[in-house]
Amino acid sequence: MHTHPSTYDTERLIQGAWQHDKWSIARLISLFEDTRPHAAQYRHDVLSALQTNTQARCAAFIGLTGTPGAGKSSLIAALLPRLLAHPSHLHIAVLAIDPSSPLTGGAVLGDRIRVRLPSKEKRCFFRSQSSDQDLGGLSRKTFQVCRLLYWLFDLVLIETVGIGQSEVSIRHAADRVYLLLSPLAGDEIQFIKAGIMEIPDAFVLHKADAPAANATYHTLQATLGLLRPPQAPSPALYRTSIHTQEGLDALAAEITAYRPPPLHASMHQREAYAFQRWLLDEYGQQALRCLSAQQTNPTAYLRTQPSFEHAQLAFDAQFWSWAASSCVSHNDTNASHTPTHPSASLPPRTSEPPR
Amino acid sequence: MPSSPSAHQILDRNGSPTSDRPWIFRTYAGHTNVHASNQLYKQNMEAGQTGLSIAFDLPTQCGYDADHPLAKSEVGKVGVPIHSLDDMHTLFDAIPLEQTNTSMTINGTSMWLLALYIALAQERGVSVSSLRGTTQNDIVKEYLARGTYLFPPDAHFRIIAEMYEYCLLHLPQWNAANICSYHLQEAGATPAQEVAFALSTAIGVLDLLRQRRQIPENDFGQVVERISFFVNSGIRFVEEICKMRAFAELWDEITLSRYHVQDPQHRRFRYGVQVNSLGLTEQQPENNAWRILIEALGVTLSRKARCRALQLPAWNEALSLPRPWDQQWSLRLQQILAYETDLLEYPDIFDGSPVIQSKTDAIKAEAQKEIEQILGIGGVHAAIQSGYMKSALVRSMAARISRIQRGEQIVVGVNRWTETLPSPLMSDQDSGLFRVDPLAANETLALLKQTRLQRSPEKVQSALRSLQEAARNGQNMMPASIQCALARVTTGEWADALRGVFGEYRAATGIEGQTLSLEEDRRRPLQDRVHALTERLGHRPRMLVGKPGLDGHSNGAEIIAVTARHLGFDVIYAGIRLSPDDIVQSAIEESADIIGLSILSGSHIEITQQIMEGLRDAGAADAIPVVMGGILPQQDHPILRSLGVRALFTPADGDLLAIFDTILHLLEASSPEPPTTHADRTEQE
Ligand code: B12
Ligand SMILES: Nc1nc2c(ncn2[C@@H]2O[C@H](COP(=O)(O)OP(=O)(O)OP(=O)(O)O)[C@@H](O)[C@H]2O)c(=O)[nH]1
Ligand SMILES: [Mg+2]
Repeated sequence: MHTHPSTYDTERLIQGAWQHDKWSIARLISLFEDTRPHAAQYRHDVLSALQTNTQARCAAFIGLTGTPGAGKSSLIAALLPRLLAHPSHLHIAVLAIDPSSPLTGGAVLGDRIRVRLPSKEKRCFFRSQSSDQDLGGLSRKTFQVCRLLYWLFDLVLIETVGIGQSEVSIRHAADRVYLLLSPLAGDEIQFIKAGIMEIPDAFVLHKADAPAANATYHTLQATLGLLRPPQAPSPALYRTSIHTQEGLDALAAEITAYRPPPLHASMHQREAYAFQRWLLDEYGQQALRCLSAQQTNPTAYLRTQPSFEHAQLAFDAQFWSWAASSCVSHNDTNASHTPTHPSASLPPRTSEPPR
Repeated sequence: MPSSPSAHQILDRNGSPTSDRPWIFRTYAGHTNVHASNQLYKQNMEAGQTGLSIAFDLPTQCGYDADHPLAKSEVGKVGVPIHSLDDMHTLFDAIPLEQTNTSMTINGTSMWLLALYIALAQERGVSVSSLRGTTQNDIVKEYLARGTYLFPPDAHFRIIAEMYEYCLLHLPQWNAANICSYHLQEAGATPAQEVAFALSTAIGVLDLLRQRRQIPENDFGQVVERISFFVNSGIRFVEEICKMRAFAELWDEITLSRYHVQDPQHRRFRYGVQVNSLGLTEQQPENNAWRILIEALGVTLSRKARCRALQLPAWNEALSLPRPWDQQWSLRLQQILAYETDLLEYPDIFDGSPVIQSKTDAIKAEAQKEIEQILGIGGVHAAIQSGYMKSALVRSMAARISRIQRGEQIVVGVNRWTETLPSPLMSDQDSGLFRVDPLAANETLALLKQTRLQRSPEKVQSALRSLQEAARNGQNMMPASIQCALARVTTGEWADALRGVFGEYRAATGIEGQTLSLEEDRRRPLQDRVHALTERLGHRPRMLVGKPGLDGHSNGAEIIAVTARHLGFDVIYAGIRLSPDDIVQSAIEESADIIGLSILSGSHIEITQQIMEGLRDAGAADAIPVVMGGILPQQDHPILRSLGVRALFTPADGDLLAIFDTILHLLEASSPEPPTTHADRTEQE
């Protein structure tokens, strides 16, 4: 019995996924989270198959971020029934990201506790992800999984803990970002003043049932008004509460009405960002030096390759020889181990993956 | 004239030497169905038990009828099932209500059970004002430790307040609620936490009552007097004596300074006790008899801090529910203590002891600090919602378990003197275990059906409508609940009507950010194996820890979840009271590498069947191994294994690292080495 096949029966999984079979979708997500080198080929296969399918749903990615305990999961739980009730019969995935322990690497994935899904609802899929030491932010896995979910769902809600940097990374993962603020969030308002303003597309004053909500609402509105560029309208500011149900219908309506930019714009940007981050994580600044030695940059390099996976593997293949020739010691790079993608080309597919 | 009094004598009103009356002997009892439980109560009373302490089954406690999907496997397992007034007539058959002090361990559905009891008195022609007893009704400890809540905190607090207000007018001898610290110690609380959390809860209730202004100023002292406590007594019995004195002194101070209660009688700290069960072991279970005795001393030795009522667990606590003989053995302990010894002849034997006073003061000081902390957060209400109190408990429990793991806290038979001769107590025909007849639930279902057939549906509907109206309009819901009882509304119907108004709730799990301190040299190799497994799987191993059914025992699941994260697993844990369907769906959606179930309610076989079926339906039966821990009697192990459970753990498996050694072996065996080159891969295929 193979609990964790090192191979994926991608055809069967794809077939299952189109029929909204949860286990198939879950296994595909695992493939997109899989850090083993040979998983890249399977991902490539899956994406090629999905792209050509007429059932493709081309999801809009909605990011919800905010400090720990801001009420992100509760808000998603309250929005879900409203989004599912929308006449266009949306298929919705939630991707909830929790911080990993910086000491042991393990994580408690606790967002599910707030979300009681109708059991066996095929149009709704909830998945938790750990941030892989990236305190609260998005991991590389998030980008990968989004590439998959894009085809299978109409709407993907991404929950992430917002502490500084991760608001920036969600900007790259989502088409539209909501920043949740709590009543009395003085510090966060300072944050907005300090420039985080550009990150979210809209603000949500959640827990609007709390006594301090009114004052905070007005402070926020005033602050946002002052900070907007001349002539620009103030960004949207919602008030929501799971207790009074205030604002939930309005927010759900806005989300369902939202139309994301076409894929070629957004996904390419996302891939470029993910590629650059991958380069930095894996090889450090030397990677950028290696590329500029070839008179290129991450975005341009990516474009010369048939796919994201190809780009990764191609770079893996050339980096160490470049490093050797330019006398870079291993200590100068982030990579403390051998590269994760050792082979020069994508390994050829086996004829039939085992069942 | 009596001779001049001596310091060692207790004098009566006339100045003659006398001795105290013993405390109330209680045995917490109830199981199977109303008939069986009625028999049991009558038997216990004949054996000399002086009060009735009713254990309800989990569906009754959580507000479900026996035919609800969540209830199916739990009917009559850990207590008596009650649906309607018909059941109450049978349960109290030939038990004179007017002479009985009835203690009901009921919380989430407390108002309903009190309404049923009142309706029973009315139909029997017993004067309602003569009813004496207690509804446990402490919701704070339900959110923190026990798990039988139904609604969000606001609604439950309101119910408690309304019951106090109603009882003050109509049942002057009824304790509407009993503030419980017992369960907090069972969930790991230190003595100071026990004192502080319980007193903060009492403050929460009294503040609310004062703020609602339904109770006349003059009667407030009387309400304060009706606040009683249910406390734990652990094995460190000298400390427990001091804890009880600290409790009493603090309560006196708080009621005077915060509520200006002038009559010292009203400020008396009244409490009942169940002694500690958390420390009772599966290994060498006969040792538990001594532990129970010592723990009983902690709440009886000091006259000033002696309990009003005492109930004792039995030697086989960690094995199963007690059999009648086990209960008798524990009851005899109380009788020997009260009637054979000279304990009740003396005034307080610790008065003036500088040691006792100093320790008492230390506990008081620590508790006071904690109370201020909780009040600072905004009281128990806010401290529950924010998860602060729950995290504090999980932290203490983790610390306790760490101490035992490292051998710093000695537990005889567990981490010292583990060698033993076979115990004759266990070689009885029933292996020393109590078993509920699995067919007995059928009688309960039949009774439920009968009640539903015989009643007037119109009356039921109109009673339920009035209840919802009262709930919406902020009227006291007691009268409407009594009308529901008389109309033969059932437990599930009463609860559903109010769920419709108040909604449901899930409490904080408290495990985030918690760690253990385990022996470094044994922990490291396991962390290394998790790391190696991560490389092999291509992701961190993901463990779903599940608490299916109505079982509220969360300690085990919490500790397993915290340990798993500590070793480097990604852990999915969504708290107690999930349906088997919920658990299967979570495991599937999350692509769990392993499912770990924790079941202590006795429903493990039915629940395992449902979960395995769910996994099969989802096409993941062979892909996700299932392991299980909890109160799992040895005889059931072959059945559980044949259902597909891969590893079983019981309280005797106290070594957390050994548990994870087994789990890692399972995962390692089912995950092949990853292929690194194409050649490897084809070979494997
Ligand atoms: C503490 C306790 C409580 C506490 C629970 C606090 C909490 N938040 O957990 C309180 C006081 C609230 C409580 C209440 C009740 N209890 Co209680 N309780 C116990 C007690 C004394 C200890 C359980 C415990 O926490 N042990 C410590 C933990 C760490 O150990 P553990 O759970 O066994 O876990 C270990 C292993 O089993 C294993 N394990 C457990 N789960 C898992 C999961 C996985 C994945 C793995 C790998 C391993 C694993 O690893 C752990 C580490 O060693 C037991 C008796 C006993 N001594 O075992 C009774 C006991 C479980 N309770 C019992 C009963 C009946 C109740 C009530 C239902 C009574 C009633 N009628 O109201 C109530 C209601 C609770 C509810 N809502 O379900 C019965 C159950 C009888 C049965 N199954 O037939 C017991 C056995 C007592 C008895 N003999 O009657 N209880
Ligand atoms: N008063 C009020 N409390 C809320 C509201 N929404 C959520 N909460 C509470 O806020 C707390 C945190 O809610 P979560 O939904 O877990 O918050 P989160 O942002 O997902 O938290 P993390 O995932 O841990 O960062 C819980 O106690 C909720 O009950 C609301 O609208 N009003
Ligand atoms: Mg969350």
